[in-house]
Amino acid sequence: MSTDTDPTTAQDPAAAQDSQRIRTGMRPDRQEPTLPTLGAVGMLRWGWRQLTSMRTALFLLLLLSIAAVPGSIFPQRNIDAGRVADYIAQHQTSAPWLDRLGFFDVYASPWFSAIYLLLFVSLVGCIAPRTKVHLSALRSTPPRAPARLQRLDEHAELTTTLTPDEALEAARKVLKGKRFRVHSHDGTSVSAESGYLRETGNLLFHLALTGIIIGMAVGHLLGWRGDIILAEGDKFASSAGTYNTISPGPWVDSETLPPFVLSLDKLHVEFNDTPGRSFGTPRLFDAQTTLQSSPGAPKSSENVSVNHPISVDGADIFLLGNGYTPVITVRDAKGQVLYREATPFLPQDPNYRSVGVIKVPSASPKQLGFTGFFLPTAEPSFTNGPMSLFPDANNPEIAMSLWEGNLFPGGAPQSVYTLNTEEMKQVLQPNGSPALFRLKPGETKQLPGGRGSITFDSVKRFAGLSVRTDPGAPISLVSATLATLGLILGLTIKRRRVFVRVRPAPAGAGGDRPEGTLDSPPGADGRPATVVTIGGLSKDSDPGLAAIVSAITTGVHDRLAERTDRS
Amino acid sequence: MNLAANANAALYAAMIVYTLAMLAFTWHLAARAPKVADSKVAEVPATERESVLVGAGAPTTSERRPATPYAAGPGFEESLKSRQRGSIALMLTYLASALLVSSVLMRGLAVGRPPWGNMFEFATAAAAAVGAAYSVLAKRNNWQWLGVFIVTPILLVLGLALTVLYTEAGELMPALKSYWLGIHVTVAFLAVAFFTLGCAVGLLYLVRLRREEKPPAKPNFIESLPSAQSLERTAYSLNMVAFILWTFTLIAGAIWAKQAWGSYWQWDPKEVWTFVIWTVYAAYMHSRATAGVDHRKSMYIALVGYVSVIVNFTLVNLVSTFVGMHNYSGMG
Ligand code: HEM
Repeated sequence: MSTDTDPTTAQDPAAAQDSQRIRTGMRPDRQEPTLPTLGAVGMLRWGWRQLTSMRTALFLLLLLSIAAVPGSIFPQRNIDAGRVADYIAQHQTSAPWLDRLGFFDVYASPWFSAIYLLLFVSLVGCIAPRTKVHLSALRSTPPRAPARLQRLDEHAELTTTLTPDEALEAARKVLKGKRFRVHSHDGTSVSAESGYLRETGNLLFHLALTGIIIGMAVGHLLGWRGDIILAEGDKFASSAGTYNTISPGPWVDSETLPPFVLSLDKLHVEFNDTPGRSFGTPRLFDAQTTLQSSPGAPKSSENVSVNHPISVDGADIFLLGNGYTPVITVRDAKGQVLYREATPFLPQDPNYRSVGVIKVPSASPKQLGFTGFFLPTAEPSFTNGPMSLFPDANNPEIAMSLWEGNLFPGGAPQSVYTLNTEEMKQVLQPNGSPALFRLKPGETKQLPGGRGSITFDSVKRFAGLSVRTDPGAPISLVSATLATLGLILGLTIKRRRVFVRVRPAPAGAGGDRPEGTLDSPPGADGRPATVVTIGGLSKDSDPGLAAIVSAITTGVHDRLAERTDRS
Repeated sequence: MNLAANANAALYAAMIVYTLAMLAFTWHLAARAPKVADSKVAEVPATERESVLVGAGAPTTSERRPATPYAAGPGFEESLKSRQRGSIALMLTYLASALLVSSVLMRGLAVGRPPWGNMFEFATAAAAAVGAAYSVLAKRNNWQWLGVFIVTPILLVLGLALTVLYTEAGELMPALKSYWLGIHVTVAFLAVAFFTLGCAVGLLYLVRLRREEKPPAKPNFIESLPSAQSLERTAYSLNMVAFILWTFTLIAGAIWAKQAWGSYWQWDPKEVWTFVIWTVYAAYMHSRATAGVDHRKSMYIALVGYVSVIVNFTLVNLVSTFVGMHNYSGMG
């Protein structure tokens, strides 16, 4: 019988007596499974064995690592849905197939889930029997010493004038000192075993892996996240309807969101303005906010910055993004204000060229829509189209084109950041080219054909805030810590067995003395000498084993010296 | 005093000394190659201990010894010449590693933050970690034979860092200002250092094993290395230490991600590859513990793992397809 977990057995079964091999308690993996002829139950049983075998676990682990890779190559919806849309637009033939196969949602795809669920089942199916075996191993005594200790990995033999009992006693003392579990099956030998913590650690590690997975599942089911875009000076009151986007887990009751109120007083932003490779890279984002845990509750001043979220009612508020909200006013021909809002424009590149939309449903006779760019530091010539040269608002400008028609075809809900032009027509200048309105703060432009005017009043910053709860995270964190602990125990502790056997030295002879240095002259005090054989066995590469064997020989020697001293 | 300039000077000095060390290690290997006559080691007595490396507790009974005419290991007597050259090379390596580590430290002081905010700093710090780990372990384990296989890649990485990746010392992006970053990245470097040592020893194991199975007509320095079995165990131990460190890296990274982005795991490309590396090495540990899978196959898995480590630190940081939230290569 060979065990799964014992490489040496498979390599050279003759190396040591098989009964002496150390097992971790894994169920034996049959090299050639005999197909049972037991019908359904037998097949199920066989299938279960296959699934929980170490080879399957190995295969699934490799498969999981391969399956994870495409998610780093193709854009993923969970990270950046916009990039996915771009990719699909650019790869008309392959993209629909990739999409059908889940390559843009790898970590939620059926095949990826199948692999990790199988691994999870295999893991549980593996831990349960191993735990049982290990628990009984913890209660059992070390096995009987094998016949030929010389064949074990580490061995030594010495001859001493101690009596067999004295020699065994000396060995026992050394082994106990090294925290071995010691047992004598008969009067001429000692069996000892240590390193039970190795399997304990290993089981802890695997068990903790399931804990991490459970933590992730809890987070998925009970966690939620909501995103807000909040301009400087604005106030946000949390409730299911007020988030720009909210994604609650399947088990979340959206009526129970924490009712906090948050206002953004000021967003401090700094960019690197020394020329060089890092020109324009961000240096600092810091949102100065006022927080109330519920409307009417006392106010407190809080700073949210990258890496420093604030907490309220079990939810954490993170600063994840920022950008600009130009304040834009649209008037009709009579000067009546149709639209005046701080409109968030979403940054598209590191220099914050941002896109945004203004929808004016109250315009008549036809509804008006503007779409275009906000450029914090506009490149004045526009030779390569609207571009920004630096992320800070050093030379802000908006550039918008104008559409008219039906803003909301079919009344379907739509994003505030895109203009649906299905039922709209672009407004042209009298010379036939599309109308483009370039404005700096304070400027007003007349719209062609007496449609009114547009004014760029000022610009404020906005903060992209994300509110999240993940009740599973502490479970995962504790499990991950335990897993590391278990891993360290499981990998560094050595499972060892040591046996000591004594026999009388052949009469008259000095005994065979390969380790002559440690010997004292046999029978010095007239008594027959004892031959002590020590053998040690370890599960794997184990430099410490030799030291233990030699510690026993030294122990026996010391015992003799002790006796000589006393007499 | 201009710390950044001194850091660069120390870096150049380290490269010069590493080059000398590389030459000395090669010179050492040349002296190691056993002569055919000397290397025909007779069956080693069973009582003789194999005192090399972690394999010290290795089986010593004669039936377990590979049947090769050049079973060097214990039978191999290193010549005085080879030993002398080996120690010269080691001394040079100590010096070079000290210079490199101090260069990294000075750069850190110059910018007032941990010195790994961009790809250039990353590469130099990783090279310094490898050099330091090797320097600390080499003497005690008699790893002179490994030197050239460690120092050469270090030189390559430093050369690349200076020519392709160089970035002026500057401040950090806000997302990188966290002490978890310090912990996460420090441990990652240590892990990479051990993975690198494990990979080098693993490759030597494969070569050694091949030549043990098909003894070559003329022995060379490979025959002077510890036995394939012993090399395999060394590689395993190194990979094991690296795996533990990598597990920690993964966890610290998740904690940092939670602080910075609000979610501890969201499959950004860097996270994906950290995970891939982890599972591949977990598969290696499993495979090595599975009966009937020979150690050579397991080692191939470990090498795949090392390739993933390289991918993680190069392609994932640089290539635009891997765009995620970890965009801090400083490469524009
Ligand atoms: C979730 C995926 C898994 C991962 C990441 C994993 C990882 C590991 C690692 C890193 C080790 C070496 C650590 C040590 O020896 O303490 C190990 C050992 C082991 N694993 Fe797993 N494992 C997984 C699933 C499984 C499953 C499903 C089984 C059952 C078939 C299993 C059975 C074992 C056994 C028996 C050992 C001990 C090997 C030895 O004797 O050293 N593992 N595992």
